[in-house]
Amino acid sequence: MAPAIPVVIEARGLGKIFSVERAPIVALQDISFAVPEGRFVSLVGPSGCGKSTLLQMLAGLVPSTTGEVLVDGAVVRRPIPEKISVMFQDATLLPWKRIAENIEFPLEIAGVPAAERHARAAGMLALVGLSEFAERYPHELSGGMRQRIAIARGLAPNPRILLMDEPFGALDEQTRIKMGHELLRIWAKTKKTIFFITHSLTEALFLSDIVLVMSHRPGRIVGVIDAALPRPRTYDIIGSAEFGAVRNRIWKLISQDDTEAGETGMASL
Amino acid sequence: MSVRRLIVIVIALGVWEAVRRFNLVGPLLLASPSEIVAALVKSWPDYLVALRFTVSEIVIALAFAWALGIGAGVVAGVRPFFGAVSGPLLSSLFAVPLITWYPLFMVWFGIGMASKIAYAVVSGFFPIAINTMNGVRGVDPHYFVFGRAIGCSRLQVVLRILLPMAMPSIASGLRIGTALVVIGVIVAEMLASLGGVGYQISYYQSVYQTGHVYLGILFALACALAANWGLSVIERRFTHWRELQIGER
Ligand SMILES: Nc1ncnc2c1ncn2[C@@H]1O[C@H](COP(=O)(O)OP(=O)(O)OP(=O)(O)O)[C@@H](O)[C@H]1O
Ligand SMILES: [Mg+2]
Repeated sequence: MAPAIPVVIEARGLGKIFSVERAPIVALQDISFAVPEGRFVSLVGPSGCGKSTLLQMLAGLVPSTTGEVLVDGAVVRRPIPEKISVMFQDATLLPWKRIAENIEFPLEIAGVPAAERHARAAGMLALVGLSEFAERYPHELSGGMRQRIAIARGLAPNPRILLMDEPFGALDEQTRIKMGHELLRIWAKTKKTIFFITHSLTEALFLSDIVLVMSHRPGRIVGVIDAALPRPRTYDIIGSAEFGAVRNRIWKLISQDDTEAGETGMASL
Repeated sequence: MSVRRLIVIVIALGVWEAVRRFNLVGPLLLASPSEIVAALVKSWPDYLVALRFTVSEIVIALAFAWALGIGAGVVAGVRPFFGAVSGPLLSSLFAVPLITWYPLFMVWFGIGMASKIAYAVVSGFFPIAINTMNGVRGVDPHYFVFGRAIGCSRLQVVLRILLPMAMPSIASGLRIGTALVVIGVIVAEMLASLGGVGYQISYYQSVYQTGHVYLGILFALACALAANWGLSVIERRFTHWRELQIGER
């Protein structure tokens, strides 16, 4: 990480304890990392290790038990829609609104005047290449298209950070690969900072500059992998020796952690 | 209306009239179409007054049942604790037919409109509240998170996202609730009241004027049909998108 690039989002000693029927569960422990502006950062880890909880804490949607989140140096206490957009596995489009209206919805909540909303929605639709679907309803689109609309909707308020929680997790493999390329194209064009959760090591490595690796119970960061593969990336890169070597390193980190957790009988991968 | 349908109706009315004319069924059991028309000609001003009475009760009761039912359903749907506490309570209250409570409504609200309205509101409230609660609970929790992430207030999340998402389920609650409100008003009027369509029915029944009884039933039917029609207009307005996506999800 070059020191010249400013940090946009930073986690400092983040911890989260849930109490379920009075029994405390340490979901996250001492999570610290900093994401420099414009970087593509992925987070991988076994199921249930606290990735979604961490993402929602970064977005100011869930309070942390310890530590704090800083965005542009200021502590995050509530959602900041003008700086952070959040996306999920489900596109969470509003089924009674047309596609253009869906993209305008966050702008409407933010009080942006109608004329500007229309213009920005049209711009976003062009960016994701779905202009001809402006007047359609969400159910008329495929799963991949709906996720592209969700990206357009997330980008419409012109945030600096995109937090994505397994956004392509429900798509078939071919669509998923296409969406990865599409996201990289949009990222290169908009220069947003992206924080991306996935279960797929290949996807994480293919997309990212940095891969954060998490462990299970309590969720901790056990590795920060510099995925400095050349860009622009093509599908061929996945077959390269370099790619395979880095992916093995990540896999070792995760599975090593799993044997440690083996005494609790957890087999999560 | 097609000619065929018209012919069927004319024949049915003819048979009905004949059954009475030849006295196949006694005059207390059945009124002929001509007797119903005669009752209408003779007493229509009374019935108009009764109809106004009943319609006002229905409209007021519907407003309360809808508002309270949807409001309570949203709260129970959003707050699992409230739902967990109120769920079993509601179903145990339901175990006793509501009509057995009617004497208490009379004691609390008197013999006038208020007791009819209160009784009808309670009849319609539960299906609306329960369907709203289930509808809200069925919404993917990510929609809440999405709403808050884009800066919605709690109220905005409910009004702009949750209620529309839950609308198909709410609409079926309103369908049942609305029918129960109409029935509730008329049944309550029949039991004890000073006016209204239900009152007309039970009064004329007690003086053996079967033509007038049947006329009252027709008016009651008209109230139910009108309420249903109004509801379907509103429903179409709010759930048109649902029809578009049949087969999805
Ligand atoms: N509101 C909550 N109350 C209690 N426990 C919770 C709550 N939210 C999450 N947890 C627990 O915290 C842990 C982390 O959950 P989280 O959803 O963040 O994991 P995840 O890494 O995103 O999992 P997945 O990969 O399956 O999406 C889990 O054990 C979960 O059961
Ligand atoms: Mg998750």
